[in-house]
Amino acid sequence: MPPALLTTSLVNTIQIGSLYALMALGITLTFSVMKLPNFAHAEFVTAGAYAALIVSLSGVLNPLAIMAAAFVVGALTALISHIAVFKPLENREVSLYTLILASFAVGLIIRYILFLMADYFNLFDLRIGIPLTILFREGSLILSNLFAWVVPTSILLVILLTLLLNATPLGREMRALANNSILARVIGIPVERVKNYTWLLVGGLAGVAGALWGLQSAVNPLMGWAAIISVFAAAILGGLSSFSGTILGAYVVAFSENTLMLFLNFNFGVDLAYKPAIPFIIIIAVLLLRPQGFTEIFRRAGDLDR
Amino acid sequence: MINIDIGATAVAVLTLFGIYSLMAISLNLEYGVAGVPNFGKALFISIGAYTAGITYTRTLPLLAGFEAIHPCGPTMGGALQLRSEIMASQPAAGFINLALTFLIAAAVAGAVGFAVSYITLRLKEEWFLALVLLVGGETVRIVVRGADDFICSHNGISGVAQPFYFVEDPRSSALLFMLLALALALLAYVYSQRLIHSPYGRMLKGLREDEDITRGLGKGVSLARAQIMAVGSVIAAIGGALFALNTGFVNTNDYVVNLTLDVWVMVVLGGIGNNRGALLGALLIALLDRFTQIGAIALNMSGSELEFNYVRFIAFGLILIWMLRNRPGGLLPESRLTTNAHDVAKGLIGR
Repeated sequence: MPPALLTTSLVNTIQIGSLYALMALGITLTFSVMKLPNFAHAEFVTAGAYAALIVSLSGVLNPLAIMAAAFVVGALTALISHIAVFKPLENREVSLYTLILASFAVGLIIRYILFLMADYFNLFDLRIGIPLTILFREGSLILSNLFAWVVPTSILLVILLTLLLNATPLGREMRALANNSILARVIGIPVERVKNYTWLLVGGLAGVAGALWGLQSAVNPLMGWAAIISVFAAAILGGLSSFSGTILGAYVVAFSENTLMLFLNFNFGVDLAYKPAIPFIIIIAVLLLRPQGFTEIFRRAGDLDR
Repeated sequence: MINIDIGATAVAVLTLFGIYSLMAISLNLEYGVAGVPNFGKALFISIGAYTAGITYTRTLPLLAGFEAIHPCGPTMGGALQLRSEIMASQPAAGFINLALTFLIAAAVAGAVGFAVSYITLRLKEEWFLALVLLVGGETVRIVVRGADDFICSHNGISGVAQPFYFVEDPRSSALLFMLLALALALLAYVYSQRLIHSPYGRMLKGLREDEDITRGLGKGVSLARAQIMAVGSVIAAIGGALFALNTGFVNTNDYVVNLTLDVWVMVVLGGIGNNRGALLGALLIALLDRFTQIGAIALNMSGSELEFNYVRFIAFGLILIWMLRNRPGGLLPESRLTTNAHDVAKGLIGR
């Protein structure tokens, strides 16, 4: 495969992998702390992207302000879902399948409310219009200011999240809850408050991921849903408990979807239409062959099940 | 205002009810009775539909004494015309082909269902099966869509006519198809009722309540799970074949996660573990489906900008959450199971 294509696809891998990491950490965090495989996570991303889009359409073009709006909307969406749906169900101690089903339902409702809104105000497939500047150009490889926003922001947020988890009282409480919720309650950790904060954090990060996603491609009501399986694949590669494993998993998924797919396409004639099958194959393979994911490689800082 | 043809609407709703009943009964057997979380319902339904797509394009012309035309690409139009002509003029070929469709769909889906349950033995956590099935359904969909010649990738197969297409009056033709769907649904209902109320059915409920205890009682838990997945998948695939015949198309876009969720809504709404509940859920969803469609058309004609079809999904989500929160047993909750042994025991205790 031509080297120009290789470098472009590697740049894509880094950019998309960073976004996947941001989203997949939310999945891992929800699963560890709340014991919930949350499929509505996709819609927190989309809600954030729409918040960012609407703010940018109203004339605010400062990326930081846009991301702040996305954070707030994503966080509130997550908190409302928790209070209205997940908390009452958890209090009744329903089965895990009920929770999975409820998360699908929450996602369905948010997604189609966004559809209604997008349809009514004609907000389909618009990009968040911050001015584009080209920072670097070498042959066919072009790095714009989008890359400079997406990648460092994602990495910075991932680092901040890891710090929060390891070096703050809230993070310690979250880890305690992830490890043993009954014990956490016994030693007096305010479980409900910690859960609320976790939801705010998870939703906010998903919202920011949506805003960054909307910077690089068009915003539409299905964008989060379209990415959710890739994101779940990343989280499952991380064993649904390890932070470092999840981040590595995100880049592995992004790499397979971009670089590996192009490689297979060029060298073995595999049709690009099969690209969406890659995360699915990764999930099935990991669950069957290595359900612990990368957790055993990383037994260090940031792991939730230490 | 639009004129609603009440007779035609009733036939359409009842046809849909028959098809949905098959899907709901199959999920009720798997999840409601045996506790296997089949989040891959769309996969097994789609097996039926894809089989119909293949038999209508490959075996139907042969059965009618024609040479099969390649269904995709430049010969697509000719193949479609041939299909329609055969379905209109040679009912016998149509029926034999339908029987063949059911047989192949049932065999494939049953085998896949049986094999898939083996995965549970290898999984670290039980809920991973739900994920594997969900993801497996989507993988198959993407692969089928990518394979050009299978069912013509994203174009799909059209002209998958129902077997009573030859009846000239469209109303009686629709009525006959409705009767076929209802008859198959009744068959599935009677069969699953008998299954649930047999000792084997009680063992399946034991599997749902506590796998370890059931195994401790000497029951072959893994085999039972495989068997019920196979039975459920066969019923779902028959439902899928009918679903394709009802719409007249086989297209991979129909067999997405939303379809799986629809079936789950039926079972959760009607009553988990209760077949009558599954039927009630199927009926309510068939009604809701039809009336949201009518509502959407009425709203469009009145010049409103609001796209009503989206409201259907919001309503589904709200119904699901409301039911899970407030009526976890569904509208018709599962009743207590009593057998002769209970009566004898009560007599012994003296109560």
